[in-house]
Amino acid sequence: MMLQQAGSVQLLCLTANSGVPLFTRGASKQLPFSIIGSLNGVHMFGAGQGVVLAGCETDRGGRMVWRVFQDSVMLIAVSSGGQAQQEGGGAGEDLHLRRLLENVWNCMVLVLGQDELASLRNVERLKRDLRSCYRLIDQLLEGGQGQEGTMGDLTHCADCLLPPNATLLQEGLDGFTQAADSEFGCLMVHGRIATATEKWWRLAPQEVVLLSVLARSLSLSGSASCDTPVFLPQGSPTVAHRLLRFQLLPGADVCVLCGPSPTLHRAESELVGCFWSPLLEALRSSLAVGERCLPGSVTLRPDVLALLLINRESRRSVSYVKAIITNPNHPPSDHPLPSKARCWELLRLFYTFTTTRYFPLEETPALTPGEKAQRGDSLREDFSLGFSHQPLQCYLVTEECKCFGLQTTQHQLYLLTPLSVPTFALRSVATQTLSAITLATGF
Amino acid sequence: MTPYSSQINTLMIPQVKKPDVVFQGWHGYTCDLEPEWLDDVQKNGELFYLELSEGEEAAALAQAAANHGLSTNHVRFSEKEAEIISNESRKLPDGAPTKGEPKLKRLARILRRKRRPSQSRGPDGGGEDSSSRPVSILKNQAGQRVGVMVQQLKEVFLYLNPKRLGSCSPPPPERGGLLEALLGVVHRPSWGRGQGDPTGRREERITVHGLVPNSPAVKCAQILIGDNLVAVDDVDVTTENIERVLSCIPGPTQVKLTLETASPGGPGEGGVDMSSAPRLRPSPSVSQLVRLLWGEDTVELQMSIGHIPHIVMYLSLKLDSDSPLEEQEILYQYPVSEASSQLKGVRGIFLTLSDMLENVTGGQIVSSSLLLSKQLVHVGYWKESNNLLVIALPAERVPLLYLQTVVGGAVRTLKVMHGSLDSAFCEADHAPRLDHFFCLFFQQLIQPSRLSDSSGATPPDLSETLFLDGLPAVRWLPLPPEIKMQVDTVLSDFESSDFGEMSEDFYGVRRLYVTLGSCLFYKGYLIANHLPKEDLLDVSLYCQHYCLLPLASEQRVGQLVIWREVFPHHCSQIHQTKKYQNKTNNNHCTMPGYCQPKGRYFLLIVGLRHFMQCVLLEAGGCAAPATGAPGPDCVYVDQVKATLLQLEELDVGMEEHLAAPPAPCLSCADWFLPSFARDRLDTLASSSPVLCKLAGGVKPPSSDQGGGKVVGRSLFGGGARRPHPKRSQSDSGSEGQSDGGVGRPTGLSPHSTPDSARKLVGQRDSLGSGGSDGSRGSGSIFKIPRMKHPNPFYLGTLKKSLTERETEEKNNTMKLTSGAENTLFHYVLMEKVQGIFIAPTHRELSQLSGSIHPQLIRNFHHCCLSIRAAFQRSLPPRGRPGTDRPQGTHGLGPVKEHGVLFQCKPENWTDQRKPAPTMTYWVIGRMLLEPVPQEFYVCFHDSVAEVPVEMAFRLSFGLAL
Repeated sequence: MMLQQAGSVQLLCLTANSGVPLFTRGASKQLPFSIIGSLNGVHMFGAGQGVVLAGCETDRGGRMVWRVFQDSVMLIAVSSGGQAQQEGGGAGEDLHLRRLLENVWNCMVLVLGQDELASLRNVERLKRDLRSCYRLIDQLLEGGQGQEGTMGDLTHCADCLLPPNATLLQEGLDGFTQAADSEFGCLMVHGRIATATEKWWRLAPQEVVLLSVLARSLSLSGSASCDTPVFLPQGSPTVAHRLLRFQLLPGADVCVLCGPSPTLHRAESELVGCFWSPLLEALRSSLAVGERCLPGSVTLRPDVLALLLINRESRRSVSYVKAIITNPNHPPSDHPLPSKARCWELLRLFYTFTTTRYFPLEETPALTPGEKAQRGDSLREDFSLGFSHQPLQCYLVTEECKCFGLQTTQHQLYLLTPLSVPTFALRSVATQTLSAITLATGF
Repeated sequence: MTPYSSQINTLMIPQVKKPDVVFQGWHGYTCDLEPEWLDDVQKNGELFYLELSEGEEAAALAQAAANHGLSTNHVRFSEKEAEIISNESRKLPDGAPTKGEPKLKRLARILRRKRRPSQSRGPDGGGEDSSSRPVSILKNQAGQRVGVMVQQLKEVFLYLNPKRLGSCSPPPPERGGLLEALLGVVHRPSWGRGQGDPTGRREERITVHGLVPNSPAVKCAQILIGDNLVAVDDVDVTTENIERVLSCIPGPTQVKLTLETASPGGPGEGGVDMSSAPRLRPSPSVSQLVRLLWGEDTVELQMSIGHIPHIVMYLSLKLDSDSPLEEQEILYQYPVSEASSQLKGVRGIFLTLSDMLENVTGGQIVSSSLLLSKQLVHVGYWKESNNLLVIALPAERVPLLYLQTVVGGAVRTLKVMHGSLDSAFCEADHAPRLDHFFCLFFQQLIQPSRLSDSSGATPPDLSETLFLDGLPAVRWLPLPPEIKMQVDTVLSDFESSDFGEMSEDFYGVRRLYVTLGSCLFYKGYLIANHLPKEDLLDVSLYCQHYCLLPLASEQRVGQLVIWREVFPHHCSQIHQTKKYQNKTNNNHCTMPGYCQPKGRYFLLIVGLRHFMQCVLLEAGGCAAPATGAPGPDCVYVDQVKATLLQLEELDVGMEEHLAAPPAPCLSCADWFLPSFARDRLDTLASSSPVLCKLAGGVKPPSSDQGGGKVVGRSLFGGGARRPHPKRSQSDSGSEGQSDGGVGRPTGLSPHSTPDSARKLVGQRDSLGSGGSDGSRGSGSIFKIPRMKHPNPFYLGTLKKSLTERETEEKNNTMKLTSGAENTLFHYVLMEKVQGIFIAPTHRELSQLSGSIHPQLIRNFHHCCLSIRAAFQRSLPPRGRPGTDRPQGTHGLGPVKEHGVLFQCKPENWTDQRKPAPTMTYWVIGRMLLEPVPQEFYVCFHDSVAEVPVEMAFRLSFGLAL
């Protein structure tokens, strides 16, 4: 008997003390209440005995991860097996579930504020209120499987798009943000940050990622503008700010995080047109970059299938998957190239594989062990700590493609290439790609 | 006649002798040559008998005695006593030294043997011995001690564990009571009148009339027959109150016994025993392992890791809620400590999870992680029928990636030993043996340093142990074909079971066992294997879990005899499939033709010095079916011993082979760091005229990697070559010319031989440092062409028959890496079909000293854990072969090759102005399916791009695996 669909991830949310289910998301078929109850009970029982249950896994790659936030809300993620070792690494690679729980919690705080979640005064009302988070949570559950192929939820580094005329847009954005009585502004193109004010980058990386997810879901709703209250999970978990979003062009949105003024109407009618209409051309050219995320000035080697480049200092990332042109005349080769969606998946898997084993995970600067424990990071074994020497690069050869990862003090680059590229050439492909991008864009 | 043929001649000698040995063994009951291990045979026929060779044992015991002596008032006394006991098996404390063995005992043994035929010993192995054995060996007879006896008080510390008495009610006083059961001290009130009347017993002193085998009293080796027990924990005891006092001991604890003893008065007295008691060579950890194997010190060792959370539990999934008994679902648990009791407390989690996960996700739980008082603990699960095996280990010891392998190994070993987990755990009398098994298991994982030898070689790193033990293969020592052939011949001779006049034909009886095959270990390396792969793995897992391989490599084993019934993996598998087939189509003979006979299997391991031979025997089938629990048969044991004695002639050859430079040359990581190379060079150059010249031919070290490398390499490539003085002459003759008269231009093999390196390092250490730099010349010495035909075999005994020149060439030729320089640091090649792997030997590693290199090796193994875990994923999940795994659509898919580049910096880099020099190297793992399934792990310097497939090919081809 198997209660959960193969390959799906289900999210359970309960109150930590009483075990009242708040919501479940993610699976077409809900787990029966008794199972949910015992999943929670197992963790609670352990907590009573001084044992914190962190996670478990099955021989078919199914996984379960528990985490309690603020002593009030318990989140459980269940990923079912069936798709053998889905996480791409067998044991120990539940990174994406852990990140999911963290993101979901942050997302709940973002919408409802920490006070309401921590106090749990009225569970029924909370249940109702939490419905407003569903859309965001669903988006997080989809993860990279969504069309856009963003990785911020996994990497906690904001997905960026490098526009060809960055300075022009930066100036426009700065002016617009200032005029809106704010210091936090951001221009999103195709759901990725094209440019943002300095203060925006100073937000915690998780917040930047989460705001991007929010802006993306708002822009999917199709409205031209909106005004949403948001709590910043790290910055101001108890005081709400306003997130103003305006659609400049289809696919291009500008967001401002501001206080009580200006009103949405004033901003829309007075500021948007005045600041952005001169920049329409620049916006159009940014839109033209499309999902490539890299300006045309960057020439990539043809044998790069997909890449993820992370700037470790600024916590930004650029990802790219080559559009595969299937030539109908060309007979299919022995090793067909993976599809685009598969490339995104592989990229995520390779990132997970590498960061759980070799490269340090990008975290907000220097957490003390205490904070780590609080954030649940000590629930994870850090395999990379076992190395006496520092891993710099790594590669994998699988049946579908070759993966190469490298890190420098400033960057991490993850690269997929077709099997036709010789293994010994991977390294030079990677270093060339890295220097090509950094030199051309200063990323 | 060549030296080689003379070698063969000497080999023949033991063969001629062989029947004699057998003869004596066969007619054990007519002559007095009775095997020492006979008394150790358990009721169920099992035997684990370990005796160190004389030197080792004396050292170990002297050490043990010295340790105990700290708590004793009379050090000299205890030392002496230990020596006396050491002559006999440690487990026969009341047995006297072999020399002075009283006739009476021998007679008794002979009588006992006569009662039953030697071949089919009943299940009454040695259990009843403690009572039936004549207790005539009083202390005064034991040593040839004469002289004044002085009564002295001594204190003895013992670990007692009342829980070991088990559920059975406290033994009645008539049978010795707690004194006998707990302490192991036999006291017969009114000795000589038989059983005294317990009620009418008057208060009297407790005199030790005998000792119970394997009891704490025996193991401490300080309580002697004839001593008087005066006090327990400073409470005066008599026969009146002793039972009460002992019953007050609540749990496992250490108690102090005060004994009144008679000891020799004169210092000049002592005789043979005394003089041969060497207190030299203290080897505490050596004895630690041995003592653990003897079943001693387990409590102490276990206590030392009591704070580390770890536990093994066997839980029943069938919960009977009506039963009033608490903890009834725990069928077995070990150990009992504070941290483990916390884990025991949450067993509900394990049970619930294993039950629930199958329902929710459709897979069986294999692991979970818990945070236990800030320590991350991984829990591995293994479900069998209605029971669940749970093993919890701290995350810092066993990475989650490898937990499954570790648990799987333990489970397989238990299954081999007992047939199934159920039969292993559910039988009450297995508990002490399981405790011993898991004590070794946890000790190996949690504090391996306590078990390993501390002499010289660095203790094996945990990652290394995990990785190498986790490989489904045995470490193989490639031998020159000549030696290999001899070994194989000897083994085949043995396996043919043609024991001359001892054979079945001779007596016309059905043979007892058929030899299925055997394998031979030398110093922990497999040198010959005539077993199918799965059987080999079973045997090696058994040896691994009982630490037998390190044991044989570290010390000379006087005698090791292990006998037990086993349930080989492949048999149980066939059995299972048969059952399944029977169930499905109800057809009894599904496989036409040959059918695996339904026999019983026995494992016989005999160790002698550094050799260890494991023999798998089958009873039933074409041999006589086994009934009951047969103990080891003398004929077979002696036969193996004879084989080993025969092989001992090859010892020299193998030793030479082990000492020879590694077949594929290795480089030391330190040579690639510019600063290090330079320091060494300076030091060497300034103090040795030979090396000065050498240094003259070396490029100045430059800051870039290349330069540094060159220095290191040339230096060590060109060091003092071979220890042979003769050889060095021929070297300069044959190779030197091209170098235009540099006096000792040996540096010419472009790849470094660690052998020479070791010499250099050794010299450096002894020479101290000097100041002057060697003058810098050109790098012309690198132009010597490489030598031709790679022949990896060091010719061992054959060497002398070849000219020096040829030998020299062969020694130096195998190089794995491409390019002019040898950049290979380490490798592991596993051959899956035969189940063997090769890696540089420990000795080779210790030759490559240096500070970075050991780190690098550690790193290599840690990385291999990860690489192999990635490979494992490519295989179908355990227990469900051929599961419907969607073709390459999920996960990363099967991984064929995986590499990681590491950067290392020297530690303690103090120079602020310059950045620390760095060295980068690859660790690459490659899985090959063609032509033979192999896994290859290699570590080499970054300077040359390597194709691991080619390296693996070169290595396996060269070694002709």
